Amino acid sequence: MLAGYDTLITTIALGAILAYSFHVVLMAGQLSLGQAGFAALGAYVSTLIVPTEPLFGSLSPVLVGIPVGAAVGALAAFGLGLPVLRLRGVFLAIATIAFGEMVRVVITNAEWTNGALGIRVEKWVTVDLAWAVVAVLAYLFWRLGPSRTGRAFAAVREDELAAGSMGVNVVRTRMTSFVASGAIAGVYGVLFAYFFGRIIPAAFDFGLMLDGLVTAVVGGYLVYFGPILGSGFLTAVPEIQESLGLEAGWIHPLVTGLLLLAVIVFLPGGLSSLVTRARRRPRPPEPDLDALAALPPPPETGTALVRLRDLGKDYGAVRAVHGVDLEIASGDILGVIGPNGAGKTTLINMISGLEPPTTGGGDVLGVALGPAGGAHRFAQAGLSRTFQHSKLFDRLSALDNVLVGAHPVTRPTFLRRLLWLPSARRDERRAHALAWAQLRRVGLDDRAGLRPGALSYGDQRRLEIARALAAHPALLILDEPAAGMNHVEAADLAELIRSLADDGITVLLIEHNVRMVLETCTRLVVMNFGEVIAAGEPREVAADPKVVDAYLGTGETGENEYV
Amino acid sequence: MVQQLANGVFAGSIYALFAIGFTLVFGILRHLNLAHAAIFTAGAFAGIELAVRFDLPVWAMFPAVAAIGAVLGVVLERTAFRPLSGRDDEHFAGLISSIAFGGVLIAVLHARYGTEPKSFPQEYFPNRLYEIAGVRVTLTQIVTLALALALMLGLAWLVSSSPMGRAMRAVAENPGAARVLGVNVGLVTAGTYALSSGLGAVAGALLALNLGQAGRGLGASIELIGFAVIILGGLGSLWGAMAAGLVLGLAEALTVHWLDSTWKGMVAFAVLFAVLVLRPRGLFGHVKVREV
Repeated sequence: MLAGYDTLITTIALGAILAYSFHVVLMAGQLSLGQAGFAALGAYVSTLIVPTEPLFGSLSPVLVGIPVGAAVGALAAFGLGLPVLRLRGVFLAIATIAFGEMVRVVITNAEWTNGALGIRVEKWVTVDLAWAVVAVLAYLFWRLGPSRTGRAFAAVREDELAAGSMGVNVVRTRMTSFVASGAIAGVYGVLFAYFFGRIIPAAFDFGLMLDGLVTAVVGGYLVYFGPILGSGFLTAVPEIQESLGLEAGWIHPLVTGLLLLAVIVFLPGGLSSLVTRARRRPRPPEPDLDALAALPPPPETGTALVRLRDLGKDYGAVRAVHGVDLEIASGDILGVIGPNGAGKTTLINMISGLEPPTTGGGDVLGVALGPAGGAHRFAQAGLSRTFQHSKLFDRLSALDNVLVGAHPVTRPTFLRRLLWLPSARRDERRAHALAWAQLRRVGLDDRAGLRPGALSYGDQRRLEIARALAAHPALLILDEPAAGMNHVEAADLAELIRSLADDGITVLLIEHNVRMVLETCTRLVVMNFGEVIAAGEPREVAADPKVVDAYLGTGETGENEYV
Repeated sequence: MVQQLANGVFAGSIYALFAIGFTLVFGILRHLNLAHAAIFTAGAFAGIELAVRFDLPVWAMFPAVAAIGAVLGVVLERTAFRPLSGRDDEHFAGLISSIAFGGVLIAVLHARYGTEPKSFPQEYFPNRLYEIAGVRVTLTQIVTLALALALMLGLAWLVSSSPMGRAMRAVAENPGAARVLGVNVGLVTAGTYALSSGLGAVAGALLALNLGQAGRGLGASIELIGFAVIILGGLGSLWGAMAAGLVLGLAEALTVHWLDSTWKGMVAFAVLFAVLVLRPRGLFGHVKVREV
């Protein structure tokens, strides 16, 4: 029944492979569009170096070419990634497009590529082979999704800063997706060459890039089979049109364009969101006390976790933080208060590795403060934090948000999941147990399947705390956790913070709710104009006239209401 | 050599005119509008049809093309960008929806004008040749340069000094605050697209007038150079785009002079690539720092 449709079916497979090379970067939130260049390099190198006759009598050139193309594409992507991965969004997109165009111009002008005329090869690609490659890719992405690496991709896509603060190595994750994209594009180039029997530079142009991107997006890049759906759909349109007897050449682009517009406006997750809309509500597993008990104990009380010496940060002429000397010992609940703009958030951004200090230095959990980009190293050392404006992963469920939080205390599972090793399954089950334990702790276990957008403001703040706790931190930094909470919620939060301290977690709390700070903290630091103006036992500090003057103020009676 | 430089300036003025529409939308609305090239092409075809069918003289043709472009711009904003506003993936989705809109527009042009390139009527515009200081220039080139400069300066004045421009800059800084202060953000957004697309359409008609004809690939041929121009000039910077357009036009002319015309495409991208790696904000742009 399928006889006569071989070409069509193979075209769908090729379209899906090209789309996978976009899928993998979109999954990690990278708008990288150099795939046409990687495909061209893969296609040309493999057609030029792989012998045209079957090796050992039976191994067809395309089978030899596929690994060659993958290697060439991956190498090219790595080489390109080194300079351009500093860029983001539109800038990354345009730099990679420029790369693709440069490759095309060079190939057109070079001697060894036979210029614009291109190269002829035998047609070795069969339906089976093309679909075998698609099946392998689909399998890889299916196993990737719910693995630790897959969650790292999603976290980087949703919010790089938060991902880094959860221990995800953002630079490496972006590079991994970039190199994988290059490898897949290289394979596509090889298959393209041996399917059409000819490669010309013009085949690897801007238009090819757009086709791949559109297919990946129409299919949906949040689900592993999106590229196959997208390619099937987009390839079917002209066929249906032909069978209806509509021959005019403009109908196909018109219909494709309108459908694409409709998909992007009405189905943000692509076609695959039609299939996956009915999501199961995640069921909480039985509490697994062993998993929690097996975690390393907190550092001994009194150990110095944070040592800062003369720490300072300037933004141009603005001195955000200046000359801060601070030590935080294990077991402390340290409150940091001060007026807006006093430098509190800048201080903790430096402590958590998000911003490099301009002067001074120090170490946090044994990691020296240094150049930016190392937030994940601090997280892996046992620091975890929340943000003043919540930075939850918007398109992940509450449970998945917390699972990302468990990144530093779990092991990579992707490769072992490919082989269905039981140990991968055990590790995933353990990660879930850790995540559920924290969801229960903040009282969100009945809302685990919801996305952050569907939670109330207070619940979002608590979800962020659960995510931070899943990392099993030695030091937890909370940046204005009670902001926007009513006093009942704030009291619950204070209760939670005290219970964390009982578990041996050291807490650094920035908060404007002074009563809550005084009730929970064992030490208090007051900042103003970037400097520490007072530090010590909370009640004493609150009575300090400098602090009253700078921040607390006096009540209607002229009395300090906090003493 | 001097002749090549002069040609570079003329080509550059069209690049700049194409790119300022592009960069205007990005600078104010943070949208990368990939339908801009299609509107450019539509402007070229519209100009030719107005000349052929209605015998419209040049001085009336350009305003008419600008009006058609402006209408297309509003339609574009309504169908491809407004439905996405406020979504998590607004910017990314806008990229795709504008590709889709561009594809639809090109398909419509295909349906209306067929596959063959269309030409302006013979003798539509006097093909006079001047020689100034040893450089030969056609009247078309002079008009192109003058019109491009006038439009760019007009736009710069509009954005910096008119009430509409003030509202646009307010929206660029902070749409939410602008709305609270009584700026009609929807209107400004639509107006920005109308302006941008009007300029893009005129740029298309100008290029077609220079070439004498237009095909469906006209916009695609200039789109990538447009990227290079806006990055080189600094995304969102009008003056930067103008200067970068001229710089790239000159660079291309010099490559043709020294190397070969097949390497022409390389220059724009090599420059673009170098700028992105060394100075991502472009030569004239400035960066915004992300807040935690």
